Amino acid sequence: MQDAITTLINSSDVQGKYLDNTGLEKLKSYYQSGELRAKAAIALGANASTIITQAVARSLMYTDITAPGGNMYTCRRYAACIRDLDYFLRYATYAMLAGDPSILDERILNGLRETYNSLGVPIGATIRAVQAMKDVTADLLGAEAGKEMGVYFDHITAGLS
Amino acid sequence: MSLVKQVIETADEELRYLSPGEIRMIQNFCSSGEQRIRIASTLAANEKNLVDRGSQRFWRRCPNTPSNSGNLRKTTSCQRDQGWYVRLVAYCVLAGNQQPLEEIGTVGMKEMYRSLGIPIANWAEAMRCVKQEAIALLGETDAAEVAPYFDHIIQTLS
Repeated sequence: MQDAITTLINSSDVQGKYLDNTGLEKLKSYYQSGELRAKAAIALGANASTIITQAVARSLMYTDITAPGGNMYTCRRYAACIRDLDYFLRYATYAMLAGDPSILDERILNGLRETYNSLGVPIGATIRAVQAMKDVTADLLGAEAGKEMGVYFDHITAGLS
Repeated sequence: MSLVKQVIETADEELRYLSPGEIRMIQNFCSSGEQRIRIASTLAANEKNLVDRGSQRFWRRCPNTPSNSGNLRKTTSCQRDQGWYVRLVAYCVLAGNQQPLEEIGTVGMKEMYRSLGIPIANWAEAMRCVKQEAIALLGETDAAEVAPYFDHIIQTLS
């Protein structure tokens, strides 16, 4: 994985240079956002299961997907769905802390679309659930941190579509 | 390659969110950001000075060493490498841990210098001299942030 700091160091090192002013400005804004990121991570960790429950309630629960014949029908499939949403939330939280989406690509998105297609998991419904998580976390975290988390949920959505 | 990355990877291995202590580490790290940027910028601006003064000190202590043999190429290579290690220390200060040093500059360092015929003990002494110049340059508080990284280089050589 990369993070805001590692990315800047690596790109300076291949040139054998110190960080230039642009790089230092980027670092500065990352450092300054540390408090916001830390608070958001605490709130997300403490409320993870509630976030999932609410996101499912908003997006999937009362649709055909949970009825007999739907992709979330049978407890086993329901459980698999919320387990995946749980992963998405945890990795989005990591990415938000790092200030860099690459961990999502490495641990979640690489091959996910193909896996879901081969398992018959509907991509459209997954995207609706991820977008619902984005809304629920924005309500929980407030505008500024919610917007930052939104970047990583959108990254998941983009990687799936 | 940063403290943030290190903490996240540990949590990920255990499939969990960061613990309060780990989040506190990231908070503390970020809240000292201004200081980190100041130190890294000072090192960048003074690299040549540190290396020049460090070399003078080093040659007084180890007069019989390749970089002081009159072979200009050896002197230049030695000082270039010293400058590189100052740069890696600056990266470490920004990253909050020693991983940039390890990934770029200390894993394999001893073997490399040995194969080049560089006297390892002298190289360690040269790094001690650069460290002392860096401490003198930065002052007590800021020096406390860089000294452990120089020590890490020196320990790798022992």
